[in-house]
Amino acid sequence: MKYVFLKDMAYRRARIVLTIISVACLVALILLMGGIMKGLRMQARDYVESVEQQAETGTVWLSTERSGSTFAGFSLLNSEHLEILRSLEGVDKDIPLSPIIFAQARPVINGKETKAVVVGYQKGKLGGPSEKDKTDPNAPFYPIIGRLFQSSQYEDYRPMDIPPGEVIVDELTGLEIGQNVELAGKPLRVVGKTRGKFFVFDTPLLFMDIRTAQETVLSNVIYVNTVLVKVAEGYNPLQLANEIKERSTVRVDAHTGNQIVEIILANYVDEPMKGVQALRIMLWIATGLIVAMITYVTTREKIREIGVLKAIGASDKYVVSLILKQVVIMTLAGIILGIILAYLAAGVFPIMVVVSTSESLLVAVITMAVCLYGGYIAAKRAASVDPMIAFRGR
Amino acid sequence: MNSLIESINITKKFGESESAVVAVDNVNMSIYEGELLVIMGESGSGKTTLTSLLGCILRPTSGSLIIDGTEVDYDSEDLSMIRREKVGFVFQLFNLIPYLTALENVIIAMDIAGIKEHEAEERAKELLTQVGLPDRMDHRPSQLSGGEQQRVSFARALANNPLVVFADEPTANLDSRNSASIMQLIEKLCNERRTAFAVVTHDERLRTDADRILEMQDGRIL
Repeated sequence: MKYVFLKDMAYRRARIVLTIISVACLVALILLMGGIMKGLRMQARDYVESVEQQAETGTVWLSTERSGSTFAGFSLLNSEHLEILRSLEGVDKDIPLSPIIFAQARPVINGKETKAVVVGYQKGKLGGPSEKDKTDPNAPFYPIIGRLFQSSQYEDYRPMDIPPGEVIVDELTGLEIGQNVELAGKPLRVVGKTRGKFFVFDTPLLFMDIRTAQETVLSNVIYVNTVLVKVAEGYNPLQLANEIKERSTVRVDAHTGNQIVEIILANYVDEPMKGVQALRIMLWIATGLIVAMITYVTTREKIREIGVLKAIGASDKYVVSLILKQVVIMTLAGIILGIILAYLAAGVFPIMVVVSTSESLLVAVITMAVCLYGGYIAAKRAASVDPMIAFRGR
Repeated sequence: MNSLIESINITKKFGESESAVVAVDNVNMSIYEGELLVIMGESGSGKTTLTSLLGCILRPTSGSLIIDGTEVDYDSEDLSMIRREKVGFVFQLFNLIPYLTALENVIIAMDIAGIKEHEAEERAKELLTQVGLPDRMDHRPSQLSGGEQQRVSFARALANNPLVVFADEPTANLDSRNSASIMQLIEKLCNERRTAFAVVTHDERLRTDADRILEMQDGRIL
């Protein structure tokens, strides 16, 4: 009679199937929420980490003082004021300063206004795709399909410089090379395409020359949002960041690449996703409650059966184990089905969802623990049935 | 005769202080090996409470119980162990597990007692044959008549070779033909086995075949 609990489940299969489906839906939701957050975290880190990889020796990102970096607040810097930084020992002299514009924008793509992040940088410096990304699979912005944009006329910032009207877009925008993107009324010709380069919530990155970005998103003022400093080999980025803050003649904030990643995650993922995290915990509790309630209601229905088992000698342990075996089977089936559902749904979700094996295992373990706890409480109550009920049925 | 179960001044009260109902009042009695004991009395006279006390389903308010020569220690003893090893029960409402076959309903009593499945199955088949259901073993309770269900209950009660089988109004839910058949079964089992049967009943037909008859009134044995 090893499988008496299975026979009971087969007898009450309609309720068991409904419970399994309920658990599966909740597990899938928990996993998808986690997957959305994981996807957001990956997208949030991707740009800065790609630039970090490009720099190889570490980076320091400068921004207006107390702006919290251009990724968190509003920062405008004039790179000419930062020339003094070239003299610092920790600054790599090969690529001393990389001015960057990183700004949210509403370009018109395929006739439809859409959200995007404009990344303006100087070709040959840090901040966006380089020639290397066209051929080297290990390059951070690989692959670049097509070509890079033309550089502006001058190395420095001159208002008379005519910005090149070219842009590199992500292939998921659906744009083909030669098509136009309209940004602030100016048509920009697509000359190259990246693959999988997004900021949070699948916001595509539009890479362009810094002068083009200044013209389209900063009304042609010769400011930049952030200036990137490549750390010289053997120097510590954090030490350099502190040194810059102390020695700079203009008041600036300086953050290492890791600090920038933390700022982005805090501002774009952790803070807005607090509610989602709370919802995930509530869903876990709901899963445990559903299993506990259904177990309890089911055991209340078969209270006489339990009374009879106790009257013919079943110990409380025997009764609890019968019920808990059912809880384990129901929860396990629900978890497996839920994981399958989550993987299937992740593939067709409108935003990036990353359901990982480790997350699935963690969700499985927590869900099983919550359901076992709920089931155990219900089973203990069921086991406390008075066997006298077998005599008169009440 | 050898006393299997003996109650000494056993009393059971339900409720508190002045409003307490005395269901069994200071009862002294014994059940002997192989006997057919019939317990009769009007409704509410305390028959079922007495059998529940003797079968260790209820704890007495006072008094003591000796089973197989050993006094039951209610504070430290696992009463479920006594119920699965020393006594068997047959209920008025049959109380078979609906999702198990007749055979499995008998096996489960042995499963609870930790008997190996193969041995339990062999013994369950023997018992079901003994109660006259050799060809109904694979039927579920819903596929059996009331009389057949009660026969399965007897087989289940005998599964762990108890000292005493307590049968609580075993014919109350049966028609006269099935009642007569169950009465014959009780007599047959009593003659074939050394197990004692304590049958709570209103059925006057058992009077003639009983070894002893106890009459109860207001919780006392007359």
